[in-house]
Amino acid sequence: RDVAKRARMSSAASSATRAGSLNGRPGRSCIPIGPHVVLKMIKHYQEEGQGTEVVQGVLLGLVVEDRLEITNCFPFPQHTEDDADFDEVQYQMEMMRSLRHVNIDHLHVGWYQSTYYGSFVSRALLDSQFSYQHAIEESVVLIYDPIKTAQGSLSLKAYRLTPKLMEICKEKDFSAEGLKKAMIGFEHMFEEVPIVIKNSHLINVLMWELEEKSTVADKHELLNLSSSNHLEKSLQLLMDRVDDMSQDIVKYNTYSRNLSKQQQQKHQYTQRRQQENAQRQTRGEPPLPEEDISKMFKPPQPPPRMDTLLIAGQINNYCQNVKEFTSQNLGKLFLAEALQGHNS
Amino acid sequence: MSRFFATGSDSESEESSSADEITPKAPGTTFTKQSLLLSDDEEDTKRVVRSAKDKRFEELTNLIKTIRNAMKIRDMSKCLEEFEQLCRAFLKSKTIVDKEGVPPFYIRILADLEDYLNQLWEDKEGKKKMNKNNAKALSTLRQKIRKYNRDYETEIASYKENPMASADEEEEKDEVESGSSSDSDDEPADAKSFLKKKSATEAPPPNASKFLKGAADEESSSSDGDNEDWDSDTSESDSGSEDETGRSTSMAVNFLKKTSSEGDRHTSEKKKEERKKRHKRKERIEEEAEEEAQEEGEGEWEKVKGGVPLVKEKLKMFAKGTEINTTVVVKKLNEILQARGKKGTDRAAQIELLHALANISNENNLGEGILVKIKFNIIASLYDYNPNLAAFMKADMWKKCLDCIDELLDILFNNDKIFIGENIAEDSENLASDSQEYRVRGCILTLVERMDEEFTKIMQNTDPHSQEYVDNLKDEGRVCGIIDRLMAYLEMETKGSTEEVCRVYLRRIMHTYYKFDYKAHRRALGLQGETKSEQDAEESEGEDSAFIMDRLCKYIYAKDRTDRIRTCAILCHIYHHALHSRWYQARDLMLMSHLQDNIQHADPPVQILYNRTMVQLGICAFRQGMIKDAHNALLDIQSSGRAKELLGQGLLMRNMQERNAEQEKIEKRRQVPFHMHINLELLECVYLVSAMLLEIPYMAAHEFDARRRMISKQFHHQLRVGERQPLLGPPESMREHVVAASKAMKMGDWRTCHSFIINEKMNSKVWDLFPETQCVREMLVRKIQEESLRTYLFTYSSVYDSISMETLKEMFELELPTVHSIISKMIINEELMASLDQPTQTVVMHRTEPTSLQNMALQLAEKLGGLVENNERVFDLKQGVYGGYFNRDQKGGYQQKQGGYNRDQRGSYQQKQGGYNRDGQRGGYQQKQGGYNRDGGGYQRQGGYNRDGGGYQQRQGGYNRDGNRGGGGGYQGQNRGGYQGGGGYQGGGGYQGGGGYQGGGGYQGGGGGGYRGGYKGGYQNQDRRDY
Repeated sequence: RDVAKRARMSSAASSATRAGSLNGRPGRSCIPIGPHVVLKMIKHYQEEGQGTEVVQGVLLGLVVEDRLEITNCFPFPQHTEDDADFDEVQYQMEMMRSLRHVNIDHLHVGWYQSTYYGSFVSRALLDSQFSYQHAIEESVVLIYDPIKTAQGSLSLKAYRLTPKLMEICKEKDFSAEGLKKAMIGFEHMFEEVPIVIKNSHLINVLMWELEEKSTVADKHELLNLSSSNHLEKSLQLLMDRVDDMSQDIVKYNTYSRNLSKQQQQKHQYTQRRQQENAQRQTRGEPPLPEEDISKMFKPPQPPPRMDTLLIAGQINNYCQNVKEFTSQNLGKLFLAEALQGHNS
Repeated sequence: MSRFFATGSDSESEESSSADEITPKAPGTTFTKQSLLLSDDEEDTKRVVRSAKDKRFEELTNLIKTIRNAMKIRDMSKCLEEFEQLCRAFLKSKTIVDKEGVPPFYIRILADLEDYLNQLWEDKEGKKKMNKNNAKALSTLRQKIRKYNRDYETEIASYKENPMASADEEEEKDEVESGSSSDSDDEPADAKSFLKKKSATEAPPPNASKFLKGAADEESSSSDGDNEDWDSDTSESDSGSEDETGRSTSMAVNFLKKTSSEGDRHTSEKKKEERKKRHKRKERIEEEAEEEAQEEGEGEWEKVKGGVPLVKEKLKMFAKGTEINTTVVVKKLNEILQARGKKGTDRAAQIELLHALANISNENNLGEGILVKIKFNIIASLYDYNPNLAAFMKADMWKKCLDCIDELLDILFNNDKIFIGENIAEDSENLASDSQEYRVRGCILTLVERMDEEFTKIMQNTDPHSQEYVDNLKDEGRVCGIIDRLMAYLEMETKGSTEEVCRVYLRRIMHTYYKFDYKAHRRALGLQGETKSEQDAEESEGEDSAFIMDRLCKYIYAKDRTDRIRTCAILCHIYHHALHSRWYQARDLMLMSHLQDNIQHADPPVQILYNRTMVQLGICAFRQGMIKDAHNALLDIQSSGRAKELLGQGLLMRNMQERNAEQEKIEKRRQVPFHMHINLELLECVYLVSAMLLEIPYMAAHEFDARRRMISKQFHHQLRVGERQPLLGPPESMREHVVAASKAMKMGDWRTCHSFIINEKMNSKVWDLFPETQCVREMLVRKIQEESLRTYLFTYSSVYDSISMETLKEMFELELPTVHSIISKMIINEELMASLDQPTQTVVMHRTEPTSLQNMALQLAEKLGGLVENNERVFDLKQGVYGGYFNRDQKGGYQQKQGGYNRDQRGSYQQKQGGYNRDGQRGGYQQKQGGYNRDGGGYQRQGGYNRDGGGYQQRQGGYNRDGNRGGGGGYQGQNRGGYQGGGGYQGGGGYQGGGGYQGGGGYQGGGGGGYRGGYKGGYQNQDRRDY
């Protein structure tokens, strides 16, 4: 029943995302998701995921015209150290074949992953999403946030890599220049795709009935006033990322300092060369042979920027989360204050 | 074998028969060769020369051989070629020839060749038959040899006159060369006359070996040795025959001569035997020596001649010279000593010889002087007995050495007319005359020092858990006794210079400092009524070791001029103080010595001693309840995890890349003998317990502080190890006990903590090892109670609005004043935001501590500040110099604001730090600053001002956070600016401080302005490094 209730609430959530989809790209309309996909994901997390551990699985569905529909999913089995020879790809193929036998959509349209306080922007995610999207353009990654969900609102979001980022990933050019040329910032790395949970009418009816029956207390999770725990965790994570960021910046700093130093050296060298050659010319000697300057001054390895970008993206994500959470909480606090004032 | 054949082929029949005779002995030769290999690898210079000579001569003889061959077949061109080569070879061996004289075989070939050529020249017939090449070669060769021989005319003439004699002479010359020339005078100059004499005494035997056998039978000494003799003799003659190629007669003569000399020796031996029994013994020794030398040297004939006759001849000489006086003995002694260090000399035999010599001089009443001289040399050769440094003395050698030194000291004490000294030259020695003072070269101090080292070596090389070790350790008494006597001797006026006295004092100190003086301890405790110990005390009414240490060390401090001895003395003194719980003396001495500044430049043994001292100091501090000092003292040793190595109590297993075998040997030599070891478990336990007592309250106080530093990394490591355990059973090891106790303490549960720290197991493992067990335990309990109280207050203060001190008193079983003082201290140090309500005796909490979320936010802000700063640097670089200038101004403004937060946060942090420091960190000898640090104290008070500000700001913090932070920051910046100086500069610090990963250390250490450097001492520096 609990799960059913969540699903019901999810319809509210999806309506919110639908509203947001107005800013989305016009060509891609929102993705309908079957209710049992959501339930399966939630179940998967509750069974296997805990704390910082994430669970992952495969989304199945079909592409209708240019629209993606997610109709089913199955989880990746939990990895244990013992069976290192477990073949994941093999398992997926097996699974899909079996599903096909029972006439379920077997098109591999993406994957899902749970998250811990919204920390999912990582290199691993980027890489795997890239490979999915490389194979099937419509692929998405569904991010399920169990903690937010536990606070009363289902949090499920679908993401795709932006075409720009796809380009860059394809070329594997993560240098500062490459990113600059592509005009990509941390805001433009992922695009959120609006989703909607489509229930059959029968289910809708059932839910209405359930709502009637459920006690009042069940609905009030939303009104939980406690905030510090969540905020602390978020802040902790945010701080870690900020640390990483400054580290990256320091790295970059050293790099650019080295670079400029070398530039200077190079410059000096060429000038000396020129002077000497000029002198030689006046004396009537042949000029010094040309040497390969680039060989003499190997430019320092520029630090890859992609990680920094990802960290920035992640920080952005945290900030959004915190902002959202605090604004909600403030609202709740005002509510509580008003209530108290009313009572007294 | 090929050599034999070679000789056989070109020598005549007689020679080949002798070669036959020799062949059966070949196995013997191989055996002895093996023994040569087994013998030590020491090189002696003389032998090198000989072997060079050997080589050269062999080359020459080989060439000569080929020339002779060529002569036989009348191959003149070959002859010429070889002759030229010969000349060249001879030129090459010029140096040797210069030394040894022209070898006779060379003269012989020259003479023979000339004769031969003349003969050919005369023989017109033959010349005509010769082919052109040969004829040409003949003429050139003839001219050449004529010219060449002009240089050797006299030799050739003498040779031609008496070919035989020259052959003998050659042999003899070898003999003379081999022995030192001084005593070859009784060797018959003329071989022929000698031969005659021989034949007069004993009929020339047809078979030399038979004769030898007979001689051997006659002799009382073992026939084995004689067989050996014979062996070597034959081989000698064989090798002799080799260089006298083609001269059969000389061979025979040589052989005869050899045997006769042998016989001569035997007869003299017999004579001696009759004369003196002692001599016979000596003879046997000599026999042995000779035997051994021969065994070793048989492979090379030169060697045998060099080694054997040397010792043998000398002894005989001395024995013969019936009048034994000082000069003779000295000469003899020198002879023996000359053999020292050479390959052939048997060291054991040498020692025996010297002993014998000592006896002789004793019997002949040659006076003390010579005896002292000989004793010196005996001891020296005892030390020499082991060729390499790593090996240690055998027990009997060691005993002998001790006895000898004792005797020597006896002599020195009994006769104060003897002067000994290193700087008395050999020739100014006065060994003989009784009227004057004896002057003997030698240094007894060095010998005793060496003896001490040998003792250490013996102890190092004995298994410490064996009975043998105990037995060896019993010798320490003797060693100490000897040192004591030497001390007494050197203390006498005019006997020892101050340096020598210092050295011997140091030896004495080294044997004293690590021993716990139980008697003094008991006396100090004033234990009455004991029956047995009373007697003990009466028995040994000697000085307290403390008193002795004091006296000796002070002498060294005053008189010593070499830094090392003083350093060692200070360290030992400190150690001794610490061992006897005289903490303040020990600490003051350590601080005054300033040793910690430059101990890293000392040599490893001193460093080990320093480490030992430091550790002992730490343990002492612990016993006295100075937990912080104990921790600081032990930190350096324990944090490295190599305590064992640092204390010289064992080697760590490491791979060979870090340390090769050579280094390992060196390190092994540095090890401290087992009986001086410091118990490592005790050490670790003391360290961990003191770390626990410091760290747990600190952790509780700084639970949310992101920049919290570990006081003790080691302790944290143990905690982590404890946490990782999947199943927590009852604690077994000492570490587990401490970890369990720490956990209990974290909860403020002092009773459990107490039961973990002090129980049966821990008592037997650790606490009972202290001399004042009971005191230590009481101290520990008290500390645990106090620190648990602190921890409790830190941890649970947020839960209470107020708490009565009465309750706390009951909870922690402390007296009310103590509780009061602890809480007051915490309040003063602003560790606890509370106030005391006097009438009700309660602590009222202020609840101003920021919540964890607030703390978090502050940290984040700080980090972001760092991030921004970093980012602007990137911008700076992009802008280049000009933009940067302008930019910096702007940034300064920003940073000041930024710094505002930093300061806020750090202020509160430092204030805690400072409070911690203030507790007594100052005393820490770990603080490298030393005096400077005390200066810092003045500043620190200023820091106190700062702290106030910090506290104020912190309280403000709450408002700031809600409201306009910027404004608050600006205000704080203002507030700070005045006395902290250079706001912009400090703001710059904000950058580094912000980068937590940078360790924050850079900031505090480098930029942090004067006063901060002041109170940054030992462990903080340490931690920073660990970051």
